[in-house]
Amino acid sequence: MVIDDEKIVVDMAKMALEHDGYIVETFLNGESALARLKEETFDIVVTDFKMKGIDGMEVLRTVKEHYPKTKVIMITAFANLDTAVEALRGDVFDFFPKPVKIKELKSAIERALEK
Amino acid sequence: MKIEHKILYSYFFNVAFIVLIGLFALQNMNQVLEKLRFVEISDDLNASFLEMRISEKNYFLYKDEKWIANIHENINDSMRAIEATKDEISRVIGENNLQLLRSYLDEYSKVIDEIDKSGGKYPRLETELRTVGGKLRDFFKNKTQLERQKVNDIISSAKSLLFISFLCILFLAVVLGRVVSKKIVVSLRAIEGLALSIAEGNFSKIESVNSKDEVGSVILAINRMSEELEDRGEEIIQAKKLASLGILTAGVAHELINPLNNISMITQNSLELYDYMSKEDRLALLNRVNEETKRMEAVVRNLLDFSKSREAKLKEANINDIVRKSVQLMQNTLDLSNIEPNINLERNLPRVRVDEHQIEQVLVNLIVNAAQAMSPGGKLSIETRKGDEDKVYIYVKDTGQGIPPEYLPNIFDPFFSTKSSGTGLGLSVSYGIIKNHKGNIRVESTVRVGTTFTIELPAYGRTKETKNEQ
Repeated sequence: MVIDDEKIVVDMAKMALEHDGYIVETFLNGESALARLKEETFDIVVTDFKMKGIDGMEVLRTVKEHYPKTKVIMITAFANLDTAVEALRGDVFDFFPKPVKIKELKSAIERALEK
Repeated sequence: MKIEHKILYSYFFNVAFIVLIGLFALQNMNQVLEKLRFVEISDDLNASFLEMRISEKNYFLYKDEKWIANIHENINDSMRAIEATKDEISRVIGENNLQLLRSYLDEYSKVIDEIDKSGGKYPRLETELRTVGGKLRDFFKNKTQLERQKVNDIISSAKSLLFISFLCILFLAVVLGRVVSKKIVVSLRAIEGLALSIAEGNFSKIESVNSKDEVGSVILAINRMSEELEDRGEEIIQAKKLASLGILTAGVAHELINPLNNISMITQNSLELYDYMSKEDRLALLNRVNEETKRMEAVVRNLLDFSKSREAKLKEANINDIVRKSVQLMQNTLDLSNIEPNINLERNLPRVRVDEHQIEQVLVNLIVNAAQAMSPGGKLSIETRKGDEDKVYIYVKDTGQGIPPEYLPNIFDPFFSTKSSGTGLGLSVSYGIIKNHKGNIRVESTVRVGTTFTIELPAYGRTKETKNEQ
């Protein structure tokens, strides 16, 4: 699952990951993503940190509370210490600043699935 | 001299003056008392002398020795009375006059003795006696009259002196009070004026510091405060500039990082998956890169407009013409969004003195915002109206989604945007332009009903000062 309010970001992530054989669903906001999580189990959630409405931290908290086996990878445009610390406290699997390197994202996903 | 000392000295002066006048009045009263006492003594003596004269007449009529004895007794009584009160008498009429009185009495006494001894032959003595008696009578009469007159004089002069002193004290008190209070009031006014001009951000000074009193030191202190404020004010402005530069930089970074991220994602994928992509996919992605670079360019351009704050080129203009032109510029956008603008312009609007391009820029910003806020098919109405007090109003009204109340206070802040594609600079640039034109821009909005922006501009024509400024 990939969540970001920029459509091109989720499209590109989907394109890259599907090419590697992953099954990818994309969402443009936290609300629709959380609604989908109630129906389907996902191995990995890649979410933007800053979004209108339900933001990345809330997605992280909800996932950790209801679906503890699902790993969360956070991406953010504002990579400062506070957001990083907050994300790590919330047991995030990995944390990337924008612009995202797709290779790094892929390797993080691989590591997450190995565990 | 300090005001405190001035007041103290004038107070002491007035008190000393009053004490002096009191002492003088006391002295006058003592004199009056002495003279009255003399008049009393002299009345007694006169009474006893009149008794002598009556005895004298009786002797000449009845030739009885007992009248002579009576006279002697009266003379002796008078002598004793004079001796008992000689100090008081001499103080009032002087030692000479006292001696004169004594000699008159002696003479009278001698003449009486001679008459007594002569045993009937006294025609010459009778005349002599009458002369001496007359002298004594005149003496008493003159002296008492004189002293009574003096008492009157003293009292009347004391009366007028007291009256004049009273006027003097009153005058001094009033004049001193006025002078001191006027000085204080004038200085306080100057200080008040300075404080007000400082409050308006004009750090002037009070030039006339001529007194070394409390008011002078207050003025010096205020002048120093004004200086300090001016220095600090510059520091504060500098700090604010730095702070807004920080905000600006953060905002620019924020606005640029999203398109940058998007381009990065697209190019990474393109490099990696180029061979697996269809031609259409590649073109779509390149178009997307193109769009993203335009978005970045818009951010940078807006930022330049914002930071340039170029000098407005003011020209006399008709607001209605500017509104028409702006709508024309945006016609294409409005048509695409299926929005029919409803233009309602008041005729005979007062002319305005504005930079047409800047006002156009503001109107275009507002129209773009309105178009974006409305789902296709909304109603956009633009209205101009003449207001009170030489003001012209432009209303830009949409039936869009509205602005949530919690965002309203921030919508004119730089980089505040509720749109994912917005730069957050349009409204803040507009705000700056309208403020530069000494106007006002306001917003009213109801969520799901619509938003109205009101621009208020000063009319040009009646106010000649505007002309002189340019």
